Amino acid sequence: MHKEFATGEIPGFVHLYAGEEAIATGVCAHLRPDDYIASTHRGHGHAIAKGCDVHGMMAEIYGKRDGLCRGKGGSMHIADVDKGMLGANGIVGGGPPMNCGVGLSAKVRGTDQVGVSFTGDGGSNQGTFLESLNLASVWHLPCIFVVENNGYAESTSDRFHASGVDIAKRADGFGMPGVVVDGHDLFAVYEAAGAAIDRARAGGGPSLLECKVNRYYGHFEGDQQTYRAPGEVDELRRTRDCLDAFAGRVTAAGEVTAEDLRRVDDEVMALIDDAVAQAKAAPEPDPADLLTDVYVRY
Amino acid sequence: MISVGVVANPASGRDVRRLVTGASVFDNAEKGAMVHRLMAGLGAAGVDRVVMMPAGSGVSQSLHRHLSGRTGHLAAQRLPELDVLDMALCEDARDSAAAVRAMAERQVAAIVVLGGDGTHRVVAAHCGDIPLCALSTGTNNAFPELREATVAGMATGLVATGRLGGDGLVRRAKRFRVGVNGDAVVDSALVDVAVTADRWVGSRALWRVEAISEALVAFASPSAVGLSAVAGAVDPVPRAAPFGLYLSLAPPQRAPRVVAVALAPGLVTEVGVLEARRVDPGQVVALAARAGCLALDGEREVELGPADRVTVRLVPGPLVIDVDAVMAGASRLQLLDQATTRRADDGNHRPTGPGHQGAAPGLVPHDADHPRVRGAGAQGVRHRRDPRVRPPVCG
Amino acid sequence: MARVITFQKAVNEALDQEMARDPSVVLFGEDVAGGQGAGGELDAWGGVLGVTKGLYHKYPGRVLDTPISESAFIGAAVGAACSGLRPVAELMFVDFMGVCFDQIFNQGAKLRYMFGGKARVPMVIRTMWGAGIRAASQHSQSLYSIFTHVPGLKVAVPSTPYDAKGLLISAIRDDDPVIFFENKVLYTVEGEVPEESYTIPFGEASVVREGDDVSVVAIGRMVGMAQQAAEQLAADGIDCEVVDLRTTSPLDEDSIYETVEKTGRLVVVDEDNPRCGMAADVAALVAQNCFDDLQAPVQMVTAPHTPPPFSGLLEDLYVPSAEKIGEAVRRTTGGRVGARA
Repeated sequence: MHKEFATGEIPGFVHLYAGEEAIATGVCAHLRPDDYIASTHRGHGHAIAKGCDVHGMMAEIYGKRDGLCRGKGGSMHIADVDKGMLGANGIVGGGPPMNCGVGLSAKVRGTDQVGVSFTGDGGSNQGTFLESLNLASVWHLPCIFVVENNGYAESTSDRFHASGVDIAKRADGFGMPGVVVDGHDLFAVYEAAGAAIDRARAGGGPSLLECKVNRYYGHFEGDQQTYRAPGEVDELRRTRDCLDAFAGRVTAAGEVTAEDLRRVDDEVMALIDDAVAQAKAAPEPDPADLLTDVYVRY
Repeated sequence: MISVGVVANPASGRDVRRLVTGASVFDNAEKGAMVHRLMAGLGAAGVDRVVMMPAGSGVSQSLHRHLSGRTGHLAAQRLPELDVLDMALCEDARDSAAAVRAMAERQVAAIVVLGGDGTHRVVAAHCGDIPLCALSTGTNNAFPELREATVAGMATGLVATGRLGGDGLVRRAKRFRVGVNGDAVVDSALVDVAVTADRWVGSRALWRVEAISEALVAFASPSAVGLSAVAGAVDPVPRAAPFGLYLSLAPPQRAPRVVAVALAPGLVTEVGVLEARRVDPGQVVALAARAGCLALDGEREVELGPADRVTVRLVPGPLVIDVDAVMAGASRLQLLDQATTRRADDGNHRPTGPGHQGAAPGLVPHDADHPRVRGAGAQGVRHRRDPRVRPPVCG
Repeated sequence: MARVITFQKAVNEALDQEMARDPSVVLFGEDVAGGQGAGGELDAWGGVLGVTKGLYHKYPGRVLDTPISESAFIGAAVGAACSGLRPVAELMFVDFMGVCFDQIFNQGAKLRYMFGGKARVPMVIRTMWGAGIRAASQHSQSLYSIFTHVPGLKVAVPSTPYDAKGLLISAIRDDDPVIFFENKVLYTVEGEVPEESYTIPFGEASVVREGDDVSVVAIGRMVGMAQQAAEQLAADGIDCEVVDLRTTSPLDEDSIYETVEKTGRLVVVDEDNPRCGMAADVAALVAQNCFDDLQAPVQMVTAPHTPPPFSGLLEDLYVPSAEKIGEAVRRTTGGRVGARA
């Protein structure tokens, strides 16, 4: 995406998830198709992990008619409600209230579905986030609030924008457990998310997972990241990459061979290349689509 | 210049047991408050300086809020200077290790640790013979105590300034030295070593007892929480005893003995015990080779493959200040009076009092300077205003 | 003969009948029941003005009080609507829209469009509007024009108990997000309302008084005000046609053009402030589409460009009166009686 965006062919804004993959993977691995997630502007990872079609996603990012949202949402609003993906969101903090709604729906209808919202460290300062923690607590909803703390709210470090203590500790103020998790460690995320999701499913109520992680690319594509220390991103890629760490551990433990991993990488690269090629070649939306789907019926 | 080191590890909130059990930890703001209280106790006991590991995530902020907000009675307390180590933080266990090494270089007379078993483990591996005051900051710890920090500060200060000390007041704790594949990986544990079938370190915490096959505990109290309690239910081992205990565990239905223990806060579980036997100091115990994780002091630390061989040996551990014993000793020796009035009026500190080497409990050699000897009878027993108490130095 | 009930009771009845019919309808908002967590009665209030009284005990688990967290619970209405419920959330006073507007206009209104038609947000937000009870600037506004402006939302502003019940039932059954405006002064107004359940389609205005001389298009409480003006003007031989828009989105443009074609003179009455409001909207549409039918410029009668004042004397000047409507009507006739030559 980084390379393709640089060619100028992709319209609008794109916010890349690179570096944070362990979080979406570790959390969504526990979710069923009938669970819902509400994502952020940085939603490609969440969409893939929740099972959205990659070709549909790519076509959407290119604004094409065959995109998941018929070219009308783009990267920032990528969604597939049928797969329980309530959309990437252009408003930070827009997801947590919708998460409460999902939880309320499950509770009223008596199902064991859960809702998960993803919010950045920046978004965690929005009133919506804090109100949602409170509402989910007083209504005892099956909601998990995942904070992806990559240390930056756009260009501002969390050292400046977040008051002194872990974001997870805000949950304590609402009588909800909040746990800090290393967002680079798939197994740590998987375990903690599993505990939170099982708890919610069993009626144990909401919880907060603060996954501390790093992003490699800018807030948006085109952001030169001059606010980061020189060499910071290179150092992180070298020492804290979640994919490298995962590969190292599973091969060292003998669970998976390096060959297996290479094969997966090749398959994924081929999938992505094909998706890009198809998206580029795909037709634009019909001009009449401008006026469709504002309402179910007007 | 008497210095005491303080390690207040801000890595709170990283405990998934808050989701799966009823555990809770002191938050970072509370830790900052504890350090402030600790400093009050250290200062009252005559410690001049606190050397502190930089503590992020709100601990330092909270501490500075307390320090700058002192009014009324609190403002009259003498506090040591606060010297925060100038070091870059990695925000993991390496920070505590580096801080302790720096404190040793500065020749601190003691180190107070505010943290859980994990933090104490790291500090103990690097502190040599510097005595530790071990303060718990959560409900799920076996090694450090839950204790009010002001009093802990006073006790630590009495030891650090040399007014009290020795066997019975500063005890040698036990430690397990752990090797994987010979000495290929060496680590240590202060409380317990366990092998769990959990495949990955993951969120570190151990809460699934059914996955644990073998464990060694340095001390075993039936009133503890965690693996130490399992051993304590079977064969209690006091902290002061030289030996430890080895346990082999199995699912309750397959075990000849089953005990119900508080394995974690809010969680009472049945644990099946196949075997329990004492482990002597220096004895090498080889654990069965199997894939899984090695957990040290309740946290999964090392992922093991089926061919990895683990050996464990009980060795001497860190020196730990017994706060109760120190304060009892201080009371008996009327050091608490002494400690606050002992300074000469020129402000110079002269260590005095019944000695810092092994004051035998219950017997206090008379000291000519001791006011009880020096005509205290003429004055009667009365409190003298501490001449060191003066308005706090600003800044 | 249909029985007579208040506007407030009509709203309650619509909610009751829909909740009985469809288990996915849930009601939540601040104090919609009242008494939660306290030692006295549950359902103590049934809404700050008692509109939702009685529903809490009748539909256990489906009437929920909320903390004062509009962002969270209005956003929850959006999320719940996407995941199997038909929520009716109450925004107690429309003046509070500022604290939750993102959830309404950026989330609820746009999800269907942004997601290429693959989402539906069948939610209703009920809200109180209107000046007249000396509630002052932050509890007396109209603001439906702002919601009307947003593509993706539907807006209903009933003026009678009959319309209130029918439009609310339609709103709840509608698969799109609807903002349902309840005028606080009209709550006690009585009217004939059938006992059975019925719907009124959106986008259908109602001609409440036929006339040949001047069309007066009005919204909400101003419909009654326009009717009063019409009575007074009839005495002077000016025969007004009064049209109640009922819903501002969708807007029944055809009925507006029809009445203008018929009379050639238009006065639009709206309690809202004048800039970018419904009056300007209707006037512009008519100017564009019915220019040749107009015998005189369109007159807009609105509140002034001020916040609603507190003082009773001032508030009564703020809200358009029958007199002001009459003056506007006379301006379109140029004083001439029987103006259609």
